Amino acid sequence: MDSTPKKDETLKEGRQAMVYICGECHHENEIKARDPIRCRECGYRIMYKKRTKRSIL
Amino acid sequence: MAAPGFRHLTEPNYGKPPKSQSKVLQELVKPHIESFNFMLSEGLNLAIQDMQPVEFALPSGEKVSLSFTDASIGVPTVAQGNIHALSLKVYPTECRQGGTTYKAKIRAHLCWKLNNEVKAIKEILLGEVPILVKSNSCNLNKLSPSELIKKNEEVEEMGGYFIINGIEKVIRMIVLPRRNFPMALNRGSWKNRGKLYTEYGVSMRCVKPDQTAVNIILHYLTNGTAMLCFSYSKEQFFVPVVLILKALVDTTDQFIYDELMRGKDKNTYYKGCVTYMLRQIQTQGLTSQRKILEYLGEMFRVKLGLADWYTDRQNGEFLIKQCICVHLTNNMDKFNTLVYMVRKLFAFANGECAAENADSTMNQEVLMGGHLYLMYLKEKMVDWLVSVRYSIEKQAKVKGQSFVLNSTTLNSAVGRTNLSHAVEYLLKTGNLNSKTGLGLMQATGLTVVADKLNYVRYLSHFRCIHRGAFFSEMRTTSVRRLLPEAWGFLCPVHTPDGAPCGLLNHMAALCQVVNDQPQVSHLSRLLCNLGMTPTDGPSPGEPSECYDVLLDGRVLGKVDKEMAGELGNKLRILKVRKEHRVPEMLEVVLVPMTGKCSQYPGLYLFSSVARLMRPVLNLATNTTEMIGTFEQVYMNIAVTASEAHEGLTTHLELSESGLLSAVASLTPFSDFNQSPRNMYQCQMGKQTMGTPVHTYLHRTDNKLYRLQTPQSPIVRPCSYDTYNIDNYPLGTNAVVAVISYTGYDMEDAMILNKSSYERGFAHGTIYKTEVIDLKKISGEKGKSISLMFGCLPDDRRTEGHLDLDGLPPIGAIIEPGDPLCGYINVETNVANTLSFKHHERAVVDNVKLCGNDLGTAECQKVYISLRIQRNPTIGDKFSSRHGQKGVCSQLWPVENMPFSESGMTPDIIFNPHGFPSRMTIGMMIESMAGKSGSLHGLSHDATPFTFSEDRPAIDYFGRMLREAGYNYYGNERMYSGVDGRELEADIFVGIVYYQRLRHMVEDKFQVRTTGPIDILTHQPVKGRKRAGGIRFGEMERDALLSHGTSFLLQDRLFHCSDSSTTQLCTKCGSFQGIIQQKKSALLEGSSVNSSGHWYCQMCKSAEHIQLLAVPYVFRYLLAELAAMSIKTTLQVK
Repeated sequence: MDSTPKKDETLKEGRQAMVYICGECHHENEIKARDPIRCRECGYRIMYKKRTKRSIL
Repeated sequence: MAAPGFRHLTEPNYGKPPKSQSKVLQELVKPHIESFNFMLSEGLNLAIQDMQPVEFALPSGEKVSLSFTDASIGVPTVAQGNIHALSLKVYPTECRQGGTTYKAKIRAHLCWKLNNEVKAIKEILLGEVPILVKSNSCNLNKLSPSELIKKNEEVEEMGGYFIINGIEKVIRMIVLPRRNFPMALNRGSWKNRGKLYTEYGVSMRCVKPDQTAVNIILHYLTNGTAMLCFSYSKEQFFVPVVLILKALVDTTDQFIYDELMRGKDKNTYYKGCVTYMLRQIQTQGLTSQRKILEYLGEMFRVKLGLADWYTDRQNGEFLIKQCICVHLTNNMDKFNTLVYMVRKLFAFANGECAAENADSTMNQEVLMGGHLYLMYLKEKMVDWLVSVRYSIEKQAKVKGQSFVLNSTTLNSAVGRTNLSHAVEYLLKTGNLNSKTGLGLMQATGLTVVADKLNYVRYLSHFRCIHRGAFFSEMRTTSVRRLLPEAWGFLCPVHTPDGAPCGLLNHMAALCQVVNDQPQVSHLSRLLCNLGMTPTDGPSPGEPSECYDVLLDGRVLGKVDKEMAGELGNKLRILKVRKEHRVPEMLEVVLVPMTGKCSQYPGLYLFSSVARLMRPVLNLATNTTEMIGTFEQVYMNIAVTASEAHEGLTTHLELSESGLLSAVASLTPFSDFNQSPRNMYQCQMGKQTMGTPVHTYLHRTDNKLYRLQTPQSPIVRPCSYDTYNIDNYPLGTNAVVAVISYTGYDMEDAMILNKSSYERGFAHGTIYKTEVIDLKKISGEKGKSISLMFGCLPDDRRTEGHLDLDGLPPIGAIIEPGDPLCGYINVETNVANTLSFKHHERAVVDNVKLCGNDLGTAECQKVYISLRIQRNPTIGDKFSSRHGQKGVCSQLWPVENMPFSESGMTPDIIFNPHGFPSRMTIGMMIESMAGKSGSLHGLSHDATPFTFSEDRPAIDYFGRMLREAGYNYYGNERMYSGVDGRELEADIFVGIVYYQRLRHMVEDKFQVRTTGPIDILTHQPVKGRKRAGGIRFGEMERDALLSHGTSFLLQDRLFHCSDSSTTQLCTKCGSFQGIIQQKKSALLEGSSVNSSGHWYCQMCKSAEHIQLLAVPYVFRYLLAELAAMSIKTTLQVK
């Protein structure tokens, strides 16, 4: 999240991955936009958004 | 019961999950869970055995028969195609968080026959049906507390509800007439059933083992005959009862005559009636059983809808099987029961016995969730078979003679429909979509949401019993009346006031619903050993001096008057001692012969399910015995040992407060309060902000309340610890001074200490969850996706609010109108946002992203949980636990509060005028008890009926206060906070447990000067949500008029409403026809903005035009009138 990619890039590559926490095994998953919502470890289908340390804008 | 204390808070294992769950709490939801388990284990297959096969003929003449052989319901699992999931099991938490239904597959074996020859038995998936949480089919079943925590559940999770689209639903328990008991009823409406019909009847609700019910009514006619009324697929039929008697058993008229006349030889009227009825059938030529069955079959063939190849006789037998006394299988038993009913009916019509009260708890039982589910499922399974039949017939019709039924043609017919939707619909809406109505009086309101507002409210959902929606429209109040028969079964305190009062009841804390059907076939022999004579045996004594013995609506035999009492007692001893396999839940009722017009005598035994039962102490054996509602009426039960009468009292109550429900027993010192106050407390306890759950993070309820600083009450009744409410506390101990102090405490207003508020007193939070479903926004169905969550990197609108994934960061503060989430159209790459539509600031608590069952879908649905801070403000509602509610009127600075000699200031100032008329002495005692408890470091017992005249509560707590160096009565010398002067009167100060109610100004205030208006009338719109107005009606208008405040009136009704100005021609008195003339060429140059002058087309002049202020609706009215060619003329002065 340090540098915002340019518009064209984002569209091509899919957006930057964000970290989500699995609702079952608490594994941290990096999920990009348009990725299926699924834990890589256990296949669980609900993800929590991770609380980030950076200050809220 | 042990004295209450802080033991749950001070035990060494505090905070660690216990080894096993609390039995008491699990017991509360037992009726729901066990009835569902009954369906899973036995009910479903009983229902299948009872189903009539669907039979029909193909065009080729082959006879087809379709039926189920068995069915089973699995456990909730993920979709079959899911290759990613490690565990196939689905747990309730996933359904709650993902807004899905907790359901499992139902499979059945379909057996199809061709010309009575079994062709194949084929396994079929009937669909997915919702599963009751913590039932045997639930994945949470038998998990230990620590395992439950791992599954994101509460430690004491009780289950008993379904999860439909993420919402927890409970099937409401409804009162039904007691099964298999012929009840003598007096109904005026029966007179309208036809000529000769009277208000006298004997009605019986017959229930099959699979819980489906059929009602039969025996009517008394003025010509001395009896007609049997039964219904088949919602249609009612009336048949002379002797016809049915003769159809049941192949016997002589003499035998029937003897059976009906037994012990009543002297009654010449009755003799005449019986002979007349027998003769009536005889004259029609219906002499033998065969003839009658054929006759019945012929008459009912069309209505029964059996296949054509069934003979008349088979049709007749089918009718008997399906409609007459369906709780019995043997025709002789049916015959005996009908004979009993006829005898009861004639005794009733002749005034020898009294009518029974259908509103009395003794004649009632409960419809349990699992039973309703089973009945509904059975009906839908029959519908499914019929749909397969139609599908086959449709294929056959196309192909004609050449159609052959084989496994391929059958396969294409099966699998067209499934049950999933139908069952889910019932639970989702509570609407019964059924052809037969399942014998219920209502088709709506069968389920309720088990809202987790607080723990007490949640608990009460599972204990509530509704009388039936039908009765809420009844004008008479007799159904709502509190009857003595309900003692110990239904709580007299815990019922709402207002419309549902007395209809919506709650079970007493110890009351249970029978769930197991015990084996009773051996009871007949046991009773014979104890002195009963079987039905086919000789009469044990003078026939008129004998009691009929009925077990679950089946006549077992007769017993002599002298022996009956002893037999009943012996049976009861066996029941209590659990000897000779006499079931523990057996109800033994001896209705004695009194020689007066009382209840029809007999020895009635009940072993069936769905009855209410409660424990009492049997003094003969000194053990607890379960007694039923009918039984209790004929028993002598003392409340306390001192009340027992020697030689008469047989039983003793377990506790004096045993008549109260779980919620009502939480009111401290309720025996000191005026009774309506305890009712109010039951209501307000259920509206309190507290601790509804411990799993806030794992829930997506629309709204959850939370009290930030809850405390354990110092003064508490025993049941507080029994139910361990310390896990879910819902209030705060507050120092309350009873004083009229600031002038802001009139009429139930109360003053909060501002410093207490600043220290966190009664601070609260609302957890609100916003659901954003992109599929709904785009309106797409299926797999295609056109929207996805996200923001464009340089979007000004979302910068600083949303992350790149289009969702707000956790912990972000969201102001009203801020973007809540962003989404991008995949095709056009246009970003859009949804804004936060709420008038308060909120904090993002958590964000959940949901995938699909297969684990393949992109994120289309998110749940954003927001925290809204709700600290007490002026206008928020509070209450003590004694029905004493009040609204906060001021947050008074601590320096201006009155202070005691020790320098203490109260948290709450309570106006003394609240006491005299309401007589909540319990609150005063709680105040003293709380004060002494906090001084001595104790928790006090507030269980009702522990103190007495000999040991007054005031003295007990007064002495304690005195020992701590305080005034005996709890009064204290106080000083004015304003100028420090000593107050003349001593002030009553103590500690009372206060609840914060969920009603808060923030949700209620409505204010507007101008705002949105209706397009048609230009008047303000309705509704708080739309910033609308409140109606200023005629009576309000009258008030302003009578005060002479006409300017205020004009302001309210005109300027703030639909004020408008218009041109009027005073000559013709009309608005219409006035037009603005085009600017003339001459004037054009003079002023750019000047519009043309007004001109009346009717009068052809501009002279008389005037500007007038009129309500807009008035102009609208005139326009409407003009449209109807009605001219209006206004005279302006």
